[in-house]
Amino acid sequence: MIPRTIRVVAVATTFGLGLLAAGCSSNSGGSQSASGNGTPTGTITVWARDAEKDFMGNLVKQYNSSHQVQAQLTIIPSANFVQKLGTAAAAGNGPDVSSLDLVFAPYFASTGVLEDITSTYDSLSYKDQFVPGHVAQSTWQGKIYALPFTGDASVLFYNKDLFKKAGLDPNKPPTTWAEIRSDAKKITALGKGTYGFTFAGACGGCNVFEFTPYIWASGGSVLSDDGKKATLDSSQVTDALQFYRDMWTDGSMPSAAETDSGNQQIPLFTTGKVGMTALGAFAIPSFDAAKMNYAATPLPGKDGGTASFAGGDVITVINGTKNPAGAADFVKWATDTQAQTWLAKNGSAPIRKDLLESVYAKQGQPYAEVAKGLEVGKVPFSVVENAIFNDNNGPWVKMIHDSVFTGNIQAAQSTGQQAAQKLIDQAS
Amino acid sequence: MISDIRRSLPRGAWWVLNLALTVLFLSPLVVMLSMAFKSKGDQGHIPPTLLPAHPTLASFRRLTSVQGLNIFHNLLNSVMVSLSATLLVVLFASMAGYGIARTKFPGAGAVFFIALASFMIPFQAILTPLYMLLKTMGLNNSLVGLTLVYITFNLPFALFIMRNAFASVPTTLEEAARVDGCGTIRAIVQIMLPIVKPGLITAGLMAFFSTWNEFFAALILVTSQEKFTLPVTLTMVASGSFGQIDWGSLQAGVALTIIPCIVVYLLLQRYYVSGMLSGALK
Amino acid sequence: MSTSTASLNQKPLARGIRSTRGTGLSTQRKILGALFALPTVVMIATFFLVPLGMTFWMSFNRWPLLGKHKWIGLENYSTALSDSNFLQALKFTLEYTVIITPILLVFGFGLAVLVRRGDRPARFFQSVYFMPVAIGLASASFLWLFMTQSQIGPLWDLMRRIGLISATSNLFAGHWSSLMVVNAMVTWKVVGLQMLLLLSGLQSIPDEVSEAARVDGASGWQRLWYITVPLLRPTLALVLVFSVAGSLLAFDQFYIMTSGGPSNSTITAVYAIYRNSFIQFKLGYGAALSVLLMVILAIVSAIQMLLLRNTDHT
Repeated sequence: MIPRTIRVVAVATTFGLGLLAAGCSSNSGGSQSASGNGTPTGTITVWARDAEKDFMGNLVKQYNSSHQVQAQLTIIPSANFVQKLGTAAAAGNGPDVSSLDLVFAPYFASTGVLEDITSTYDSLSYKDQFVPGHVAQSTWQGKIYALPFTGDASVLFYNKDLFKKAGLDPNKPPTTWAEIRSDAKKITALGKGTYGFTFAGACGGCNVFEFTPYIWASGGSVLSDDGKKATLDSSQVTDALQFYRDMWTDGSMPSAAETDSGNQQIPLFTTGKVGMTALGAFAIPSFDAAKMNYAATPLPGKDGGTASFAGGDVITVINGTKNPAGAADFVKWATDTQAQTWLAKNGSAPIRKDLLESVYAKQGQPYAEVAKGLEVGKVPFSVVENAIFNDNNGPWVKMIHDSVFTGNIQAAQSTGQQAAQKLIDQAS
Repeated sequence: MISDIRRSLPRGAWWVLNLALTVLFLSPLVVMLSMAFKSKGDQGHIPPTLLPAHPTLASFRRLTSVQGLNIFHNLLNSVMVSLSATLLVVLFASMAGYGIARTKFPGAGAVFFIALASFMIPFQAILTPLYMLLKTMGLNNSLVGLTLVYITFNLPFALFIMRNAFASVPTTLEEAARVDGCGTIRAIVQIMLPIVKPGLITAGLMAFFSTWNEFFAALILVTSQEKFTLPVTLTMVASGSFGQIDWGSLQAGVALTIIPCIVVYLLLQRYYVSGMLSGALK
Repeated sequence: MSTSTASLNQKPLARGIRSTRGTGLSTQRKILGALFALPTVVMIATFFLVPLGMTFWMSFNRWPLLGKHKWIGLENYSTALSDSNFLQALKFTLEYTVIITPILLVFGFGLAVLVRRGDRPARFFQSVYFMPVAIGLASASFLWLFMTQSQIGPLWDLMRRIGLISATSNLFAGHWSSLMVVNAMVTWKVVGLQMLLLLSGLQSIPDEVSEAARVDGASGWQRLWYITVPLLRPTLALVLVFSVAGSLLAFDQFYIMTSGGPSNSTITAVYAIYRNSFIQFKLGYGAALSVLLMVILAIVSAIQMLLLRNTDHT
C-alpha cells in the first residue's frame, strides 16, 4: 500500500460515493439542519466495538439528553471491526463517528478513512492533559485524526493470599524479572495445581498489551518509533523471551498457557490457581466479584524500571460525514470532564491525567496502578499493527509461542523479525 | 466375504459391537445436552460430572445476553435465511428443471451443463470477489445478500434432482392433462408436482441443511453481530466475555443449532439419505 | 434405502422419453421453458460466473480493501510460489487429507459391513451412524472443542482416566494431538456418509460371486482382495473423491478448534486464503491463492476421474 496515493483515492471514493448516496435516506449517513445560533443539530451515527457495549449505550443516552444532535449507536464485533469499518468507509456508508481500538488509528488515518480533526483538538482547553500514548497513535504526518477516548494499561496482578502462603511479603511485589521468577517458583511449590504465573500463549493482542512492557522497561523496543523497522530480533526481546521461557521450564506456568487465546488468565487467577498474571483494568470487576485479596504492581524491566502498554480506544470522525459539526461536537463531548468522569466511575479509565488522578486513582489500589501506567504508557506505532501483533496467527505471537514453549529463541526471533519486516515493507 | 463375516461374527457379538458403537456415536450429543442443562456450579466441576445434578435452563437464559446479543434473534436470522433460501431454491430449481427436462428450449443443455460444472468449483474459491460484488451491490453485511449467495450455491444440485425428477414423469401423463383442457401451468401444478414430490423434498432438505449449517460464507459476508446466523454466533459465545468462556451457554447454543437438524433428519430420513446418495453419484 | 435408488434410475428413463415428445405448441412451450429457467440462469450468472471471472481478474491485481487496485500481472502468483506461509498451509492440507482419507475409508467400510444385514436392527444402527452427517461441521466443532478441553472436557477426562494423557495434558498444545482431535471429530461427523456410499456399493455386488469363490476354496481375505475390492472399485473411487475434495477445502474445523495453532501449524489452504483476504486485506493476493487452489483441486479430481473411468472398463 502507498499511503499517500491511497489516501487521495480513498478520500475521492468516499466523497464520490457519499454524493451518490446523499439523496437517499441512508441509515448510516447523518444529516444536518441549520440552526440559528450555530449550535450543531441533526443526527449522527456512532460505531463502537462490542467490548464497549455496556458503557457506550449509557454514554450516548447522556449525550442525547443534553444535546440537539442525536446520536445513534451501533455495536460492531471486535473481530470484524477493521473489515467492517474499512468496507463501509470505502463504500461511503460508514458512520459519522467511530470509536476504535487505538492500535488501528494509524492504519485508518493513513488510508484516509478518518477526518483531520487537528483544529478540534487544538480548541480543547484540556488537550495537554491527554495521555501521551493515545495522542501519539492519533497523529499521522503531523496532523491529529482522533481524540483519546477510553483508557486501560497493563499491570501485574498478584494474589496476596498465595504470596502469604508461599512465605512472601504480600506488600512487596516483585520489581525485577528475577524476583518474578523466584516468587513464581515459591508459589508453584505450594502444589495442589497452583502455579506462579500465567500468560495467554496463543493471543497476539494479549501479548502486545502484557509482554511488550517488559521489553520497554528494559530499554528495548519491538518497532522503531516511525514504525518502519521491526526490532523483534533485538537483545532486549531475547532476554524477555528467555525470562518467560525460564518460567515455563521451571514449571511455574500451567499447561493452559500454551493454548490460551485470552480467556484463561482471569479464571485461573480468580480461582486462586495462579499467583501472578499481567492484565488490564478490564479484569478488575471480575477479581472484585470473586472477592479476591489481590493487588496490582507495575510491569518491571529486567533489572528494574517499569513500563506499561496504553490501551483503549480513540474516537474519530469518519471522512465523508454529512454532519461534520455534529460529529465534532460528539467527539469533543466524549473527552470532556462530564463524560470522562462518568467513564472513570463506570469501568473505563479516563484518558486525561487530571481525571486519572482526581477521580480514577481514588477508587482503589489497582485503579491507582492502572492510572500510573496509563500516564506513561506506550503503544507500538504501525499501520500494520493488526497483522504483526494483534493477529493470533501473526509473527509476534508465533515468535513468543515458539520461544517460550519450544525454547528455540534465536530461530523464533529471526523468523518473527523477517515476517514482521515483510508486512511493513509490503504496506509501504 | 460379507457372508463370511456374517457367519464368523456371531449374532451376539454383532449386537455388542453395534451397541458399543451406538454409545460412541451418541455420547457427544449426551455431553452436549448434559452440559447445556447443568447449573453454573456444576459446569465448572473438575472432573466433569456425567449428568446435571440440578437441571436448569440457566445456560439457555444466558444466551439472551451474550456480549449484549440475544442469540434467539440470531436463531431467527438462521430460520429466515434457511427457509427463504430453501423455498427459492426449490422454486427456481423446479421451474428450471421442468424447462430443461420437458421443453428442451435452445440452450437447455448448456444451462444444465454449466450448472453441473459449477459443482466442480469450490465456492470457497470465489468468496473474495463475491464479497466485493455484494459490496458493490450494497448487499454486503445483509441477510438478503447472504440468502442470494446460498440460493446460488444450492441451485445446481437442486436443479440436477428436479431435472431428473421431471424427466422421469411419463410424457403421456402431461399430454393427457393438456388434452383434458389443462393449461401448461395447471398441468404442472396438478399432475406433475405430486409425482415429483420426493424430488422436491430431497432438494429442499439438502438446501435446508446446507444453509442452516453453513459457516464460512456467513463468517465473511456478514459482519454485524445482530445479523449473524447461528453457527457464526457461536464463535461469539466461544470467544467469551470479560475474558472467560461460558461453556454451558456454548453447549446450549450448539444444542439449538443441532437439534433442529436431528429432528428434521429423523422425520425425513429417507429423503435425506437419497439426497446424499444422489449428490455423491451425480 | 428403497427410495434412494429410485432417483438414480431416472436418467436412462428420461432419455427414452425425450424422443417421443409431442410437437404441438412447441415454440410456445420452448419460450415458457426458457422463462422458467431464467431465475436459475440469472442467479448462477450473477453470483457464480461473475465472481468466478472476477477471481481471475483480481488475481492479477494488487487489491487492498481501502484504495485503488493496480494491475501487477503475475506478481501475486510468483509471490505465492515463494510464500512460506502458503506453502506450509498447502503442506498441512495435504497431510490432513492423507491422514483422514484412509481413516474414513476403513471405518466407513467397517460400518457398511456391520449394517449390511439390512434387517430392522441393522437399519436402526445405520441411521444412528449416519445421524452426525446431518449436523453442521461448525456446531460439531464447538461440541468437540468442549469435550476435549483440559480439566473440564469429558473426553479429556476419560482419556486421562484410562491413562492416555497426563493430568496436565493440553490436547491443543501439540500439532499431532490437535490434528488427532480434529480427525476424531471429523470421523464421527462424516463417516456415516462413507458408510452409506460403500453400503450401496456392497449391495450391488451379488452374493453369488463371493459364494462361488468360497466354494472354490478362496479364503476370506483372498475374496476380500480379489473379488469384493475390485468390484467395489467405482464406489471406492467415489468415496475417495468425496473425502479428498472435502479435506482439501477444510476450514471450519481448524478455524474453530485449533485456530490454526499450535504455532500456525494447522492452517489449511482455505484458512490461508481467508487470512490473506480478510485479516490482511490483500484481496488480490487472496484471489490468486484461490485460483491456485482451484487448479490443485482440478488436477487431483482429474486424476481421480481417470481412476474412476478405468474401473468402468474392468
